Amino acid sequence: METQIILQVLNGLVVGSSIALVASGLALLFGVLHIINFAQGEFFMLGAYSVYFLLRWTENYVLSVIVGTLIVAIGGGIVVAAVVWPLLQRSNVLTLLATLGLGLIIQQLAINILGGDAKLVPPPTTMSVPIGPVNYPLYFLIVMVVGLAVLVAGSFALKYTKYGIWLRAVAQNRSMAAALGVPVPRVFVAAFIVSTGLTALAGSLLVPLYGVYPTLGTDVILSAFIVVVAGGMGNLRGAALVAILVGEVQSLGSLVVKPSVMQVCLFALVIVILMVRSRRESVLVRL
Amino acid sequence: MPENGTTPGNGRGNGSILEIDDLHSYYGASHVVQGISLSVGAGEAVGLMGRNGVGKTTTLKSIMGLEARTRGTILLNGSDLSGLAPHVRASRGIGYVPEERAVFPQMSVEENIRIGALLHRASAQRECLDAAYGLFPILAERRLQLAGTLSGGQQKMLALARALALRPKLLLVDEPTEGLMPVNVELITQAIVRATEAGVGVLLVDASFDLVMESCSRLYAMDRGVLTGMLRPSELSGADELAARYLGSVEA
Repeated sequence: METQIILQVLNGLVVGSSIALVASGLALLFGVLHIINFAQGEFFMLGAYSVYFLLRWTENYVLSVIVGTLIVAIGGGIVVAAVVWPLLQRSNVLTLLATLGLGLIIQQLAINILGGDAKLVPPPTTMSVPIGPVNYPLYFLIVMVVGLAVLVAGSFALKYTKYGIWLRAVAQNRSMAAALGVPVPRVFVAAFIVSTGLTALAGSLLVPLYGVYPTLGTDVILSAFIVVVAGGMGNLRGAALVAILVGEVQSLGSLVVKPSVMQVCLFALVIVILMVRSRRESVLVRL
Repeated sequence: MPENGTTPGNGRGNGSILEIDDLHSYYGASHVVQGISLSVGAGEAVGLMGRNGVGKTTTLKSIMGLEARTRGTILLNGSDLSGLAPHVRASRGIGYVPEERAVFPQMSVEENIRIGALLHRASAQRECLDAAYGLFPILAERRLQLAGTLSGGQQKMLALARALALRPKLLLVDEPTEGLMPVNVELITQAIVRATEAGVGVLLVDASFDLVMESCSRLYAMDRGVLTGMLRPSELSGADELAARYLGSVEA
């Protein structure tokens, strides 16, 4: 039993840190642009596919993850920006529907072009590391560390870099930021690219865990949305912490109940969190 | 003080930083600014006086590019600003201090000032911060505090310090002393006077007699979207006359 618990705690951290990447991408876009991007999950899926194909071509795992993430980040960021841009001054419901449509298009294209079957990618290393009584795969420890390192680096970038300061300024008061010389369109595009990139990175890192199939994004995005809502829309640190929590609850819970029951419990947890949060005057946007 | 010749307020050339010709602004269906022309010289502060709702704030916003629909020419150092986005106008050298909701509440005092300074090289950014803290020592004391937790007066100082950190050629200031204690009015006045001494042109909307008298070389009166007159502060006998002539009320 103790072995099982340690194993599931580690699994929870791996899954949690990946959900945190996806969720912080969503939170970033919501915080800066007040956009809920329903196509986000598809970039998780595309990140995973990019590793699958690049790996066959380059035969270098690290290179595939980096190049794949960059391609999906920039390509996806520009596509989302192009879809959302004309709607920015209009109702938020329109951007929501537009990104939902974009997501469906990407998913259907993936099914048509890539086929519906799952593609498997073996982890780049089969070594494992003894942690207490558990032999844990080294690769998933690396995934966890990379995920958390990117999150920490991202929060530092948000705090101290030029674009980080600009992003927060735009999130708090767009027209005042513009009046102080912040190049708002460039900040928007940067937000799109970083948001997509965080999701693509999570997808490309996690391929060996799930494999990759066209509807992969749908399964992942649900957890990420739960996390973003519970962590406070637009609140990156909140999203990251809740993501780890959700990962742990899912993993440890699977020791006690069936996964389908676990999903129900997770939603119940979110409802409780939302009820507690709504009592306080919650700050919507805090980057 | 610039010589304006026969057409006061329309002095071309001679170090004019801002020149506005026949500016119209619309807010929804209403025609708020109805064809005003004015100029601001380098190192000169110019006051825009008038009752509430006559279009002073809209005029400043139009110069900054924050009003959706405007017509007419706005020249900054001789180059046309029409069609340019607000952030481009800011980077060309316009600092804007709005009347309210100015600071970024969830960023620290220092971060607020840095936003403006970020357009400059790294070495200049430090100087911008030091200059701001030199003008307003209280901001240096509170540099790590969230701007939203500052008092109203301190927020006004921060908004002004932040606009100055852009190192603007033209400063647009909207009601910087409204509701402030006299000691803070004095600090704001000093900051604006020093900016003009450094060559910055200032277009100022404010009802504070002291600030206007100490900083402005010319005052425009505005009423219902048009300019109705211009005079020099030295022609005014006191606060009551300023109020009577330009603010349309007996109390300043």
